[in-house]
Amino acid sequence: MNNFEGFIKTVHVNGNLSIVDIDVTSDILMKAIVIDTPETASYLKSNAKVSILFKETEVIIGLGDQSGISLQNKIPAIITHLEIGNLLCKLDLKSDAGIFTAIISAAAAVALDLKVEDEVIAMIKLNEVMLRSL
Amino acid sequence: MIQIDLNKKLQAAEGEMLLKLKIDIEKGEFVTLYGASGVGKTSTLRMISGLLNPDAGKIIVNDEVWFDQSKKINLTPQKRKVGYVFQDYALFPQMTVLENLQFAQTKKYGAKAITSLIELMELGQLQNRKPETLSGGQKQRVALARALVQQPEILLLDEPLAALDTTIRYKLQEYLKQIHSEFKLTTILISHDVSEIVKLADRVICLEDGKIINQGTPEHVFINQKLSGKFKFTGEVLKVSNEELISIVTVRIHTEVVKVVVQPEEAQNLDVGDKVLVVSKAFNPLLYKLRAR
Repeated sequence: MNNFEGFIKTVHVNGNLSIVDIDVTSDILMKAIVIDTPETASYLKSNAKVSILFKETEVIIGLGDQSGISLQNKIPAIITHLEIGNLLCKLDLKSDAGIFTAIISAAAAVALDLKVEDEVIAMIKLNEVMLRSL
Repeated sequence: MIQIDLNKKLQAAEGEMLLKLKIDIEKGEFVTLYGASGVGKTSTLRMISGLLNPDAGKIIVNDEVWFDQSKKINLTPQKRKVGYVFQDYALFPQMTVLENLQFAQTKKYGAKAITSLIELMELGQLQNRKPETLSGGQKQRVALARALVQQPEILLLDEPLAALDTTIRYKLQEYLKQIHSEFKLTTILISHDVSEIVKLADRVICLEDGKIINQGTPEHVFINQKLSGKFKFTGEVLKVSNEELISIVTVRIHTEVVKVVVQPEEAQNLDVGDKVLVVSKAFNPLLYKLRAR
């Protein structure tokens, strides 16, 4: 499981749902949607330290400008290692948020012509991000 | 209210161990003792039932003193209102199911009450059979019924379901749940099965070397509440298979089997039999309504 650490910046609440904005670095803001509110989960408050967890298989890889896409969790990263199998491809990635891994299809890696040292944008849907209070 | 304050020197595998426990249990509470073998769980139940004498301490059940070393009070096992169920059933082999129940019957417990208990535990078809002709699950139902005809205030269960296969265990957990509330019992269960504890217990008390190291609701003790995921189950690893670049872990959750994809590095830390928390976001699963054809 991929794991970044950050500090909660803002909690937007509506009914039983919250969208949590987390500062991972000064430039990287990540968002998670949770079925919790500050009333049901006391860690949902500004400046609380949290782990941001997401599966390797939930990472989307894009090349170039990704402004026309609905995903808001966008992490600029560099490929440090790449392993292509018959069906799947494992990418080790380095970013200001930390190192992490993505599993995408081998065909997609070939189609995008991904190589070590390439700059990519890693994206994660906000409903794929889990939080753990620290 | 049950107040237990026990001190007892025990011979453990690694030498002498001092069991030192102080537990208050509310009437009607379902408590589980959890811990490795030899930490003093069974000895605790034996001391509550009067089969083993503490070196010092007190056992007070609903204001009645069962044991008080300082006042030299020590009720015999027969005088303590305890139902005790073991893993190995301990039924009388020469008696039928019904006779086993009648033998344990207290004076106040009438024939009518036995009939309704037989009905509740679904023993009607079996009541004239001898224990040797019964399956493990059936024997344990008889053992539970026999504990209940003694009209216990406390039901002590020493891993009663550990020897049974998953499906039967699951069914008997339902019985345990039902009789605990129906008979307004205070129940103390020894169990190693995390999913069983989560299902049944109000409180789990974790023991190590004769001491309480942690206690709380099963969710609090076993399930990391700090995780925001709402799709959360405890399960047991059945199989780990390594595929290309990923690993697939087969996990039993109650009576269902599911598969979870993990990284090979994560799979390396998993062995068959390990207890795991399966957690996902509530946003991921799809629901299909089941319809009768």
